[in-house]
Amino acid sequence: MPGCCPRVTSIVLGWGALALAGLLAGCVEAVPQDAIEAVENIDRDLMQLRAAEFSPNDYAQFTHQWMALKSRVQADEDLIRWPWEPNDLENALRQLQEEGSHTVSRLTKEREVLRHSAKSKIAQVEDRSRMMTVQVSAIDSRLVLGQKPVETDLLMKQAHAFYEQGQYDRSLDAADRAAQNLDSQAVLLNHEFGRYANRGQITGWQQMAKDTITWSRIHRTSAIVVSKADRVLTLYRNGQKVISYPVRLGFNGIREKRYQGDGATPEGRYRISRKRGQGQTQFYRALVLDYPNEEDRRRYRLERKTGQIPASRAIGGQIEIHGVENELMAQTLGCVMLDNPQMVLLFDRVDKGTPVTIVGALHEQNSVAQTLAVLGVQREET
Amino acid sequence: MNTRSTILPVTCALLMLAACAKPPTEQIVAAEKAVTEAQQSGASTYVADDYAKVEGTLAALKKEVSDQDGKLALFRDYGKAEQLAAAAKSEAERVKTEASKKKEEAKAAALQAQQVAQEAVTATLALVAKAPTGKDRAALESIKADAEALKASLNQVQMAIDAADYPTAQTKAIAIHEKSQAVSKEIETALAKIGKGKPSATKKK
Repeated sequence: MPGCCPRVTSIVLGWGALALAGLLAGCVEAVPQDAIEAVENIDRDLMQLRAAEFSPNDYAQFTHQWMALKSRVQADEDLIRWPWEPNDLENALRQLQEEGSHTVSRLTKEREVLRHSAKSKIAQVEDRSRMMTVQVSAIDSRLVLGQKPVETDLLMKQAHAFYEQGQYDRSLDAADRAAQNLDSQAVLLNHEFGRYANRGQITGWQQMAKDTITWSRIHRTSAIVVSKADRVLTLYRNGQKVISYPVRLGFNGIREKRYQGDGATPEGRYRISRKRGQGQTQFYRALVLDYPNEEDRRRYRLERKTGQIPASRAIGGQIEIHGVENELMAQTLGCVMLDNPQMVLLFDRVDKGTPVTIVGALHEQNSVAQTLAVLGVQREET
Repeated sequence: MNTRSTILPVTCALLMLAACAKPPTEQIVAAEKAVTEAQQSGASTYVADDYAKVEGTLAALKKEVSDQDGKLALFRDYGKAEQLAAAAKSEAERVKTEASKKKEEAKAAALQAQQVAQEAVTATLALVAKAPTGKDRAALESIKADAEALKASLNQVQMAIDAADYPTAQTKAIAIHEKSQAVSKEIETALAKIGKGKPSATKKK
Protein backbone atom coordinates (compact mmCIF):
# COMPACT_ATOMS: atom_id res chain seq x y z
CA MET A 1 0.00 0.00 0.00
CA PRO A 2 2.32 2.69 -1.25
CA GLY A 3 -0.28 5.50 -1.17
CA CYS A 4 -1.43 4.66 2.33
CA CYS A 5 1.31 6.46 4.32
CA PRO A 6 0.87 9.89 2.82
CA ARG A 7 -2.90 9.65 3.32
CA VAL A 8 -2.54 8.64 6.97
CA THR A 9 -0.01 11.38 7.46
CA SER A 10 -2.31 13.95 5.93
CA ILE A 11 -5.24 12.76 8.12
CA VAL A 12 -3.06 12.90 11.22
CA LEU A 13 -1.78 16.34 10.25
CA GLY A 14 -5.32 17.52 9.50
CA TRP A 15 -6.68 16.39 12.88
CA GLY A 16 -3.60 17.76 14.56
CA ALA A 17 -4.12 21.15 12.90
CA LEU A 18 -7.76 21.10 13.94
CA ALA A 19 -6.83 20.22 17.52
CA LEU A 20 -4.21 22.97 17.58
CA ALA A 21 -6.68 25.48 16.17
CA GLY A 22 -9.17 24.41 18.81
CA LEU A 23 -6.58 24.77 21.52
CA LEU A 24 -5.52 28.16 20.25
CA ALA A 25 -9.12 29.28 19.99
CA GLY A 26 -9.59 28.28 23.65
CA CYS A 27 -6.63 30.44 24.54
CA VAL A 28 -7.74 33.66 22.85
CA GLU A 29 -10.54 34.63 25.18
CA ALA A 30 -8.86 35.06 28.57
CA VAL A 31 -12.07 36.41 30.13
CA PRO A 32 -15.47 35.70 28.60
CA GLN A 33 -17.16 38.88 27.46
CA ASP A 34 -20.43 37.87 29.10
CA ALA A 35 -18.78 37.85 32.55
CA ILE A 36 -17.64 41.45 32.04
CA GLU A 37 -21.00 42.51 30.66
CA ALA A 38 -22.79 40.91 33.61
CA VAL A 39 -20.76 42.99 36.09
CA GLU A 40 -21.30 46.09 33.97
CA ASN A 41 -25.03 45.43 34.14
CA ILE A 42 -24.84 45.11 37.91
CA ASP A 43 -23.00 48.45 38.01
CA ARG A 44 -25.76 50.02 35.90
CA ASP A 45 -28.41 48.62 38.26
CA LEU A 46 -26.56 50.01 41.25
CA MET A 47 -26.31 53.40 39.59
CA GLN A 48 -30.02 53.37 38.83
CA LEU A 49 -30.63 52.63 42.49
CA ARG A 50 -28.36 55.60 43.27
CA ALA A 51 -26.39 53.26 45.48
CA ALA A 52 -23.48 55.71 45.65
CA GLU A 53 -25.80 58.24 47.35
CA PHE A 54 -28.05 56.00 49.40
CA SER A 55 -25.66 53.21 50.34
CA PRO A 56 -22.17 54.61 49.75
CA ASN A 57 -20.41 51.85 51.65
CA ASP A 58 -22.01 49.10 49.59
CA TYR A 59 -21.27 50.90 46.34
CA ALA A 60 -17.69 51.67 47.40
CA GLN A 61 -17.12 48.00 48.21
CA PHE A 62 -18.48 46.99 44.80
CA THR A 63 -16.55 49.61 42.82
CA HIS A 64 -13.29 48.86 44.63
CA GLN A 65 -13.53 45.24 43.53
CA TRP A 66 -14.84 46.14 40.07
CA MET A 67 -12.06 48.63 39.37
CA ALA A 68 -9.45 46.16 40.57
CA LEU A 69 -10.84 43.44 38.30
CA LYS A 70 -11.26 45.85 35.41
CA SER A 71 -7.59 46.73 35.57
CA ARG A 72 -6.77 43.02 35.58
CA VAL A 73 -9.10 42.47 32.60
CA GLN A 74 -7.34 45.21 30.67
CA ALA A 75 -3.93 43.83 31.61
CA ASP A 76 -4.95 40.24 30.80
CA GLU A 77 -6.34 41.07 27.36
CA ASP A 78 -3.25 39.91 25.46
CA LEU A 79 -2.44 36.93 27.64
CA ILE A 80 -2.77 33.44 26.26
CA ARG A 81 -4.26 30.98 28.64
CA TRP A 82 -4.53 27.27 28.17
CA PRO A 83 -8.06 25.93 28.48
CA TRP A 84 -7.10 23.64 31.34
CA GLU A 85 -5.60 26.47 33.33
CA PRO A 86 -7.91 27.85 36.04
CA ASN A 87 -9.19 31.32 35.13
CA ASP A 88 -9.00 33.22 38.44
CA LEU A 89 -10.09 36.46 36.85
CA GLU A 90 -13.27 34.98 35.41
CA ASN A 91 -14.03 33.34 38.74
CA ALA A 92 -13.52 36.64 40.52
CA LEU A 93 -15.81 38.40 38.03
CA ARG A 94 -18.50 35.75 38.46
CA GLN A 95 -18.22 36.07 42.21
CA LEU A 96 -18.49 39.88 42.02
CA GLN A 97 -21.53 39.51 39.78
CA GLU A 98 -23.15 37.23 42.36
CA GLU A 99 -22.31 39.53 45.26
CA GLY A 100 -23.43 42.54 43.23
CA SER A 101 -26.75 40.82 42.44
CA HIS A 102 -27.33 40.29 46.15
CA THR A 103 -26.48 43.94 46.81
CA VAL A 104 -28.87 45.09 44.05
CA SER A 105 -31.60 42.88 45.45
CA ARG A 106 -31.03 44.07 49.02
CA LEU A 107 -30.81 47.73 48.09
CA THR A 108 -33.96 47.44 45.95
CA LYS A 109 -35.82 46.08 48.98
CA GLU A 110 -34.32 48.68 51.33
CA ARG A 111 -35.21 51.46 48.93
CA GLU A 112 -38.75 50.18 48.61
CA VAL A 113 -39.06 50.05 52.40
CA LEU A 114 -37.71 53.62 52.62
CA ARG A 115 -40.10 54.77 49.89
CA HIS A 116 -43.01 53.17 51.70
CA SER A 117 -41.92 54.72 55.03
CA ALA A 118 -41.68 58.18 53.45
CA LYS A 119 -45.07 57.81 51.77
CA SER A 120 -46.73 56.61 55.00
CA LYS A 121 -45.12 59.32 57.06
CA ILE A 122 -46.19 62.03 54.62
CA ALA A 123 -49.78 60.75 54.66
CA GLN A 124 -49.74 60.45 58.45
CA VAL A 125 -48.35 63.94 59.04
CA GLU A 126 -50.70 65.45 56.46
CA ASP A 127 -53.70 63.89 58.19
CA ARG A 128 -52.49 65.20 61.50
CA SER A 129 -51.82 68.63 60.05
CA ARG A 130 -55.32 68.79 58.54
CA MET A 131 -56.82 67.75 61.86
CA MET A 132 -54.73 70.36 63.67
CA THR A 133 -55.97 73.06 61.27
CA VAL A 134 -59.59 72.04 61.73
CA GLN A 135 -59.31 71.81 65.52
CA VAL A 136 -57.39 75.06 65.85
CA SER A 137 -59.86 76.88 63.58
CA ALA A 138 -62.74 75.54 65.63
CA ILE A 139 -61.40 77.27 68.73
CA ASP A 140 -60.09 80.32 66.82
CA SER A 141 -56.56 79.88 68.07
CA ARG A 142 -54.54 79.95 64.85
CA LEU A 143 -52.71 83.08 65.95
CA VAL A 144 -51.42 81.40 69.09
CA LEU A 145 -49.35 79.13 66.88
CA GLY A 146 -47.58 82.06 65.23
CA GLN A 147 -45.36 80.98 62.36
CA LYS A 148 -45.49 77.27 63.11
CA PRO A 149 -48.36 76.29 60.78
CA VAL A 150 -46.53 77.81 57.81
CA GLU A 151 -43.29 76.10 58.84
CA THR A 152 -45.13 72.76 58.90
CA ASP A 153 -46.66 73.47 55.51
CA LEU A 154 -43.29 74.32 53.98
CA LEU A 155 -41.71 71.18 55.40
CA MET A 156 -44.50 69.05 53.95
CA LYS A 157 -44.05 70.67 50.56
CA GLN A 158 -40.35 69.82 50.79
CA ALA A 159 -41.18 66.25 51.83
CA HIS A 160 -43.33 65.92 48.70
CA ALA A 161 -40.67 67.45 46.45
CA PHE A 162 -37.95 65.12 47.75
CA TYR A 163 -40.29 62.16 47.41
CA GLU A 164 -40.96 63.01 43.77
CA GLN A 165 -37.20 63.26 43.20
CA GLY A 166 -36.76 59.76 44.67
CA GLN A 167 -34.85 61.17 47.62
CA TYR A 168 -36.85 59.19 50.15
CA ASP A 169 -34.45 59.68 53.04
CA ARG A 170 -34.67 63.46 52.69
CA SER A 171 -38.42 63.21 52.23
CA LEU A 172 -38.71 61.19 55.44
CA ASP A 173 -36.49 63.67 57.26
CA ALA A 174 -38.63 66.64 56.18
CA ALA A 175 -41.84 64.80 57.16
CA ASP A 176 -40.29 63.92 60.54
CA ARG A 177 -39.43 67.56 61.14
CA ALA A 178 -42.98 68.54 60.18
CA ALA A 179 -44.28 66.02 62.74
CA GLN A 180 -41.98 67.53 65.38
CA ASN A 181 -43.32 70.96 64.45
CA LEU A 182 -46.87 69.68 64.98
CA ASP A 183 -45.75 68.31 68.37
CA SER A 184 -44.49 71.73 69.35
CA GLN A 185 -47.81 73.25 68.22
CA ALA A 186 -49.68 70.82 70.48
CA VAL A 187 -47.35 71.73 73.36
CA LEU A 188 -47.91 75.42 72.71
CA LEU A 189 -51.69 74.97 72.67
CA ASN A 190 -51.50 73.01 75.91
CA HIS A 191 -49.42 75.73 77.47
CA GLU A 192 -51.79 78.49 76.34
CA PHE A 193 -55.09 76.73 76.89
CA GLY A 194 -54.32 74.08 79.48
CA ARG A 195 -56.50 76.02 81.92
CA TYR A 196 -59.57 75.04 79.86
CA ALA A 197 -58.85 71.45 80.85
CA ASN A 198 -57.95 72.32 84.45
CA ARG A 199 -60.64 71.18 86.87
CA GLY A 200 -59.68 73.78 89.49
CA GLN A 201 -59.84 76.60 86.99
CA ILE A 202 -63.19 75.44 85.64
CA THR A 203 -64.56 75.20 89.19
CA GLY A 204 -63.45 78.80 89.68
CA TRP A 205 -65.22 79.92 86.50
CA GLN A 206 -68.35 78.00 87.50
CA GLN A 207 -68.31 79.79 90.85
CA MET A 208 -68.01 83.19 89.12
CA ALA A 209 -71.05 82.39 86.95
CA LYS A 210 -72.96 81.07 89.96
CA ASP A 211 -72.23 84.24 91.95
CA THR A 212 -73.50 86.38 89.06
CA ILE A 213 -76.71 84.35 88.76
CA THR A 214 -77.19 84.54 92.54
CA TRP A 215 -76.69 88.31 92.39
CA SER A 216 -79.36 88.49 89.67
CA ARG A 217 -81.74 86.48 91.89
CA ILE A 218 -81.07 88.49 95.05
CA HIS A 219 -81.36 91.85 93.30
CA ARG A 220 -84.22 90.70 91.09
CA THR A 221 -82.55 92.11 88.01
CA SER A 222 -80.63 91.10 84.86
CA ALA A 223 -77.17 89.60 84.58
CA ILE A 224 -75.09 88.27 81.69
CA VAL A 225 -72.70 85.33 81.60
CA VAL A 226 -70.46 84.74 78.59
CA SER A 227 -68.68 81.41 78.09
CA LYS A 228 -65.74 81.87 75.71
CA ALA A 229 -65.21 78.14 75.01
CA ASP A 230 -68.88 77.67 74.10
CA ARG A 231 -69.13 81.10 72.44
CA VAL A 232 -72.44 81.64 74.17
CA LEU A 233 -73.90 84.64 75.95
CA THR A 234 -76.67 83.86 78.44
CA LEU A 235 -79.04 86.45 79.83
CA TYR A 236 -80.44 85.85 83.36
CA ARG A 237 -83.36 87.60 85.02
CA ASN A 238 -84.12 87.13 88.71
CA GLY A 239 -81.61 84.28 88.75
CA GLN A 240 -83.36 82.48 85.91
CA LYS A 241 -82.00 81.86 82.48
CA VAL A 242 -83.92 83.94 79.94
CA ILE A 243 -82.14 83.25 76.66
CA SER A 244 -78.78 82.30 75.15
CA TYR A 245 -77.20 83.76 72.03
CA PRO A 246 -74.22 82.59 70.02
CA VAL A 247 -71.39 85.14 70.02
CA ARG A 248 -68.17 85.87 68.17
CA LEU A 249 -65.06 86.86 70.09
CA GLY A 250 -61.75 88.61 69.42
CA PHE A 251 -59.39 87.19 66.78
CA ASN A 252 -57.44 85.79 69.73
CA GLY A 253 -60.57 85.49 71.82
CA ILE A 254 -59.85 82.22 73.60
CA ARG A 255 -56.68 83.65 75.07
CA GLU A 256 -56.61 85.54 78.33
CA LYS A 257 -56.50 89.28 77.64
CA ARG A 258 -53.22 90.82 78.72
CA TYR A 259 -52.70 94.05 76.80
CA GLN A 260 -54.04 96.32 74.08
CA GLY A 261 -54.12 94.86 70.59
CA ASP A 262 -53.67 91.20 71.56
CA GLY A 263 -57.10 90.36 70.13
CA ALA A 264 -58.06 88.48 73.30
CA THR A 265 -61.42 88.76 75.03
CA PRO A 266 -61.01 89.46 78.76
CA GLU A 267 -62.23 87.13 81.50
CA GLY A 268 -63.62 88.54 84.74
CA ARG A 269 -66.48 90.26 86.50
CA TYR A 270 -67.55 93.42 84.73
CA ARG A 271 -70.50 95.77 84.56
CA ILE A 272 -72.12 97.65 81.74
CA SER A 273 -70.71 101.16 82.08
CA ARG A 274 -72.53 102.72 79.14
CA LYS A 275 -75.20 101.90 76.60
CA ARG A 276 -74.63 103.15 73.06
CA GLY A 277 -77.80 103.21 71.02
CA GLN A 278 -78.32 103.56 67.30
CA GLY A 279 -76.15 106.36 65.90
CA GLN A 280 -73.82 106.27 68.91
CA THR A 281 -71.77 103.30 67.73
CA GLN A 282 -70.59 101.92 64.42
CA PHE A 283 -71.58 98.44 65.63
CA TYR A 284 -75.36 98.86 65.47
CA ARG A 285 -75.76 98.92 69.30
CA ALA A 286 -73.13 98.50 71.98
CA LEU A 287 -72.89 97.79 75.71
CA VAL A 288 -69.58 99.19 76.96
CA LEU A 289 -67.96 97.17 79.77
CA ASP A 290 -65.85 98.58 82.58
CA TYR A 291 -62.74 96.75 81.40
CA PRO A 292 -60.10 97.00 82.77
CA ASN A 293 -61.29 96.35 86.30
CA GLU A 294 -59.05 96.41 89.36
CA GLU A 295 -58.07 92.75 88.97
CA ASP A 296 -57.11 93.36 85.29
CA ARG A 297 -54.99 96.36 86.29
CA ARG A 298 -53.22 94.42 89.07
CA ARG A 299 -52.35 91.54 86.73
CA TYR A 300 -51.23 93.92 83.98
CA ARG A 301 -48.92 95.83 86.37
CA LEU A 302 -47.40 92.58 87.62
CA GLU A 303 -46.77 91.15 84.16
CA ARG A 304 -45.32 94.40 82.93
CA LYS A 305 -43.07 94.59 85.98
CA THR A 306 -41.81 91.06 85.35
CA GLY A 307 -41.23 91.81 81.67
CA GLN A 308 -43.97 89.47 80.42
CA ILE A 309 -45.68 92.43 78.78
CA PRO A 310 -43.54 94.83 76.70
CA ALA A 311 -43.27 98.34 78.17
CA SER A 312 -44.73 99.80 74.98
CA ARG A 313 -48.02 97.92 75.42
CA ALA A 314 -50.96 99.61 77.14
CA ILE A 315 -53.66 97.70 78.99
CA GLY A 316 -56.34 98.49 76.39
CA GLY A 317 -60.04 99.22 76.78
CA GLN A 318 -63.27 99.82 74.87
CA ILE A 319 -64.37 96.25 75.41
CA GLU A 320 -68.00 96.00 74.42
CA ILE A 321 -70.84 93.65 73.72
CA HIS A 322 -71.91 94.90 70.34
CA GLY A 323 -73.68 94.18 67.10
CA VAL A 324 -72.28 93.65 63.64
CA GLU A 325 -70.78 96.46 61.62
CA ASN A 326 -70.03 94.33 58.60
CA GLU A 327 -71.77 91.00 58.03
CA LEU A 328 -68.56 89.56 56.58
CA MET A 329 -66.59 90.26 59.75
CA ALA A 330 -65.97 86.96 61.51
CA GLN A 331 -64.07 88.15 64.54
CA THR A 332 -63.59 91.23 66.71
CA LEU A 333 -60.53 92.85 68.24
CA GLY A 334 -61.48 91.53 71.69
CA CYS A 335 -65.18 92.38 72.09
CA VAL A 336 -68.20 90.08 72.27
CA MET A 337 -70.23 90.36 69.08
CA LEU A 338 -73.86 89.32 68.50
CA ASP A 339 -75.95 89.33 65.37
CA ASN A 340 -77.94 92.56 65.15
CA PRO A 341 -81.47 91.13 65.73
CA GLN A 342 -80.22 89.48 68.93
CA MET A 343 -78.25 92.55 69.93
CA VAL A 344 -81.32 94.73 69.86
CA LEU A 345 -83.20 92.24 72.08
CA LEU A 346 -80.36 92.12 74.57
CA PHE A 347 -79.84 95.87 74.46
CA ASP A 348 -83.42 96.48 75.51
CA ARG A 349 -83.27 94.01 78.42
CA VAL A 350 -80.23 95.32 80.26
CA ASP A 351 -79.25 98.58 81.97
CA LYS A 352 -76.15 100.49 82.89
CA GLY A 353 -74.66 98.60 85.86
CA THR A 354 -75.85 95.14 84.76
CA PRO A 355 -73.17 92.62 85.72
CA VAL A 356 -71.41 90.82 82.86
CA THR A 357 -69.27 87.86 83.83
CA ILE A 358 -66.98 86.48 81.14
CA VAL A 359 -65.46 83.05 81.80
CA GLY A 360 -63.30 80.64 79.87
CA ALA A 361 -65.59 77.62 80.20
CA LEU A 362 -68.44 76.35 82.34
CA HIS A 363 -67.94 72.61 82.07
CA GLU A 364 -65.03 70.20 81.78
CA GLN A 365 -66.05 68.83 78.38
CA ASN A 366 -65.69 72.23 76.72
CA SER A 367 -64.60 72.66 73.10
CA VAL A 368 -61.07 73.78 73.97
CA ALA A 369 -60.46 70.89 76.38
CA GLN A 370 -61.77 68.46 73.77
CA THR A 371 -59.47 69.93 71.13
CA LEU A 372 -56.47 69.56 73.44
CA ALA A 373 -57.45 65.97 74.15
CA VAL A 374 -57.75 65.12 70.44
CA LEU A 375 -54.39 66.74 69.64
CA GLY A 376 -52.77 64.99 72.61
CA VAL A 377 -53.94 61.58 71.37
CA GLN A 378 -52.68 62.35 67.86
CA ARG A 379 -49.33 63.35 69.24
CA GLU A 380 -48.99 60.03 71.02
CA GLU A 381 -49.97 58.13 67.87
CA THR A 382 -47.29 59.66 65.61
CA MET B 1 34.13 37.61 20.60
CA ASN B 2 32.15 34.49 21.35
CA THR B 3 28.39 34.42 21.95
CA ARG B 4 28.69 33.62 25.67
CA SER B 5 30.72 36.71 26.35
CA THR B 6 28.01 38.85 24.69
CA ILE B 7 24.92 37.30 26.35
CA LEU B 8 26.29 37.40 29.89
CA PRO B 9 26.72 41.17 30.22
CA VAL B 10 23.40 41.86 28.50
CA THR B 11 21.58 39.47 30.85
CA CYS B 12 23.29 41.02 33.87
CA ALA B 13 22.33 44.49 32.71
CA LEU B 14 18.70 43.43 32.24
CA LEU B 15 18.61 41.79 35.66
CA MET B 16 20.06 44.91 37.24
CA LEU B 17 17.49 47.05 35.49
CA ALA B 18 14.69 44.81 36.69
CA ALA B 19 16.08 44.84 40.22
CA CYS B 20 16.00 48.64 40.14
CA ALA B 21 12.19 48.84 39.37
CA LYS B 22 10.61 51.39 41.74
CA PRO B 23 6.96 52.33 42.40
CA PRO B 24 5.74 55.38 40.43
CA THR B 25 5.57 57.51 43.60
CA GLU B 26 5.14 60.84 41.86
CA GLN B 27 2.28 59.57 39.69
CA ILE B 28 0.63 58.00 42.72
CA VAL B 29 0.88 61.26 44.69
CA ALA B 30 -0.50 63.16 41.69
CA ALA B 31 -3.41 60.70 41.39
CA GLU B 32 -4.17 60.98 45.12
CA LYS B 33 -4.08 64.77 44.90
CA ALA B 34 -6.45 64.74 41.92
CA VAL B 35 -8.88 62.45 43.80
CA THR B 36 -8.76 64.70 46.89
CA GLU B 37 -9.47 67.74 44.73
CA ALA B 38 -12.37 65.92 43.08
CA GLN B 39 -13.79 65.12 46.51
CA GLN B 40 -13.38 68.75 47.62
CA SER B 41 -15.22 69.92 44.51
CA GLY B 42 -18.30 68.04 45.70
CA ALA B 43 -17.87 65.00 43.49
CA SER B 44 -19.13 62.62 46.19
CA THR B 45 -22.42 64.57 46.15
CA TYR B 46 -22.89 65.62 42.54
CA VAL B 47 -21.29 62.71 40.62
CA ALA B 48 -21.33 60.07 43.31
CA ASP B 49 -21.14 57.07 40.93
CA ASP B 50 -18.14 58.35 39.02
CA TYR B 51 -16.40 59.48 42.18
CA ALA B 52 -16.85 56.04 43.75
CA LYS B 53 -15.22 54.50 40.67
CA VAL B 54 -12.28 56.89 40.90
CA GLU B 55 -11.84 55.88 44.51
CA GLY B 56 -12.05 52.26 43.38
CA THR B 57 -9.30 52.84 40.83
CA LEU B 58 -7.15 54.49 43.48
CA ALA B 59 -7.70 51.51 45.78
CA ALA B 60 -6.77 49.16 42.91
CA LEU B 61 -3.62 51.21 42.35
CA LYS B 62 -2.61 50.94 45.99
CA LYS B 63 -3.22 47.21 45.97
CA GLU B 64 -1.19 46.78 42.80
CA VAL B 65 1.73 48.72 44.32
CA SER B 66 1.44 46.68 47.49
CA ASP B 67 1.38 43.41 45.47
CA GLN B 68 4.46 44.43 43.55
CA ASP B 69 6.23 45.60 46.71
CA GLY B 70 5.63 42.13 48.14
CA LYS B 71 7.48 40.42 45.31
CA LEU B 72 11.20 39.79 45.09
CA ALA B 73 12.96 42.84 43.72
CA LEU B 74 13.92 40.89 40.62
CA PHE B 75 10.31 40.23 39.66
CA ARG B 76 8.75 43.63 40.44
CA ASP B 77 6.91 45.36 37.63
CA TYR B 78 5.15 48.68 38.25
CA GLY B 79 3.93 49.10 34.70
CA LYS B 80 0.33 48.30 35.63
CA ALA B 81 0.56 50.64 38.64
CA GLU B 82 1.67 53.44 36.34
CA GLN B 83 -1.32 52.81 34.08
CA LEU B 84 -3.69 52.81 37.05
CA ALA B 85 -2.15 56.01 38.44
CA ALA B 86 -2.55 57.73 35.10
CA ALA B 87 -6.14 56.47 34.77
CA ALA B 88 -7.04 57.54 38.34
CA LYS B 89 -5.57 61.00 37.80
CA SER B 90 -7.24 61.69 34.46
CA GLU B 91 -10.57 60.28 35.64
CA ALA B 92 -10.40 62.29 38.89
CA GLU B 93 -9.79 65.45 36.87
CA ARG B 94 -12.76 64.69 34.63
CA VAL B 95 -14.95 63.95 37.68
CA LYS B 96 -13.82 67.19 39.32
CA THR B 97 -14.81 69.18 36.25
CA GLU B 98 -18.13 67.40 36.01
CA ALA B 99 -18.85 67.89 39.73
CA SER B 100 -17.99 71.59 39.56
CA LYS B 101 -20.32 71.97 36.59
CA LYS B 102 -23.19 70.17 38.30
CA LYS B 103 -22.61 72.05 41.54
CA GLU B 104 -22.76 75.36 39.69
CA GLU B 105 -25.96 74.25 37.96
CA ALA B 106 -27.50 73.30 41.33
CA LYS B 107 -26.38 76.61 42.83
CA ALA B 108 -27.82 78.57 39.92
CA ALA B 109 -31.13 76.70 40.21
CA ALA B 110 -31.26 77.34 43.97
CA LEU B 111 -30.45 81.04 43.53
CA GLN B 112 -33.11 81.40 40.86
CA ALA B 113 -35.70 79.67 43.06
CA GLN B 114 -34.62 81.92 45.94
CA GLN B 115 -35.16 85.05 43.84
CA VAL B 116 -38.59 83.88 42.69
CA ALA B 117 -39.53 83.11 46.32
CA GLN B 118 -38.26 86.51 47.50
CA GLU B 119 -40.33 88.29 44.87
CA ALA B 120 -43.43 86.29 45.80
CA VAL B 121 -42.99 87.04 49.52
CA THR B 122 -42.41 90.73 48.78
CA ALA B 123 -45.66 90.79 46.77
CA THR B 124 -47.49 89.03 49.62
CA LEU B 125 -46.17 91.49 52.20
CA ALA B 126 -47.21 94.38 49.96
CA LEU B 127 -50.72 92.96 49.84
CA VAL B 128 -50.76 92.65 53.63
CA ALA B 129 -49.69 96.29 53.91
CA LYS B 130 -52.71 97.27 51.80
CA ALA B 131 -55.07 95.74 54.34
CA PRO B 132 -57.18 98.29 56.23
CA THR B 133 -56.37 99.02 59.86
CA GLY B 134 -58.74 98.99 62.81
CA LYS B 135 -61.63 96.64 63.26
CA ASP B 136 -61.58 95.29 59.72
CA ARG B 137 -58.02 94.16 60.15
CA ALA B 138 -59.00 91.38 62.52
CA ALA B 139 -59.79 88.93 59.73
CA LEU B 140 -56.31 89.45 58.29
CA GLU B 141 -54.36 88.88 61.49
CA SER B 142 -53.71 85.19 60.88
CA ILE B 143 -52.82 85.83 57.24
CA LYS B 144 -50.34 88.45 58.40
CA ALA B 145 -48.75 85.87 60.68
CA ASP B 146 -48.41 83.53 57.70
CA ALA B 147 -46.79 86.25 55.59
CA GLU B 148 -44.31 86.99 58.37
CA ALA B 149 -43.55 83.28 58.61
CA LEU B 150 -42.79 83.17 54.90
CA LYS B 151 -40.46 86.14 55.24
CA ALA B 152 -38.63 84.41 58.10
CA SER B 153 -38.37 81.18 56.06
CA LEU B 154 -36.38 82.99 53.38
CA ASN B 155 -33.51 83.07 55.89
CA GLN B 156 -33.51 79.28 55.92
CA VAL B 157 -33.07 79.27 52.14
CA GLN B 158 -30.07 81.57 52.49
CA MET B 159 -28.64 79.38 55.25
CA ALA B 160 -28.94 76.29 53.03
CA ILE B 161 -27.23 78.17 50.16
CA ASP B 162 -24.46 79.29 52.51
CA ALA B 163 -24.00 75.66 53.56
CA ALA B 164 -23.89 74.66 49.84
CA ASP B 165 -26.95 72.46 50.42
CA TYR B 166 -28.52 73.53 47.15
CA PRO B 167 -31.20 70.78 46.87
CA THR B 168 -32.61 71.81 50.27
CA ALA B 169 -32.38 75.50 49.37
CA GLN B 170 -34.19 74.91 46.09
CA THR B 171 -37.02 72.79 47.49
CA LYS B 172 -37.48 75.24 50.36
CA ALA B 173 -37.57 78.23 48.02
CA ILE B 174 -40.09 76.52 45.74
CA ALA B 175 -42.24 75.66 48.77
CA ILE B 176 -42.11 79.30 49.94
CA HIS B 177 -43.07 80.49 46.47
CA GLU B 178 -46.08 78.16 46.31
CA LYS B 179 -47.22 79.01 49.82
CA SER B 180 -46.71 82.71 49.22
CA GLN B 181 -48.95 82.58 46.17
CA ALA B 182 -51.61 80.75 48.19
CA VAL B 183 -51.41 83.35 50.97
CA SER B 184 -51.61 86.19 48.43
CA LYS B 185 -54.75 84.66 46.98
CA GLU B 186 -56.19 84.32 50.48
CA ILE B 187 -55.43 87.99 51.18
CA GLU B 188 -57.02 89.12 47.93
CA THR B 189 -60.15 87.16 48.79
CA ALA B 190 -60.22 88.63 52.31
CA LEU B 191 -59.59 92.13 50.99
CA ALA B 192 -62.40 91.76 48.49
CA LYS B 193 -64.71 90.79 51.34
CA ILE B 194 -63.75 93.35 53.96
CA GLY B 195 -63.36 96.08 51.39
CA LYS B 196 -67.14 96.32 51.57
CA GLY B 197 -66.99 97.33 55.25
CA LYS B 198 -66.16 100.74 56.70
CA PRO B 199 -62.91 101.32 58.57
CA SER B 200 -63.20 101.26 62.33
CA ALA B 201 -62.94 104.44 64.37
CA THR B 202 -62.30 102.90 67.78
CA LYS B 203 -58.70 102.12 68.61
CA LYS B 204 -58.52 100.58 72.06
CA LYS B 205 -59.29 96.89 72.70
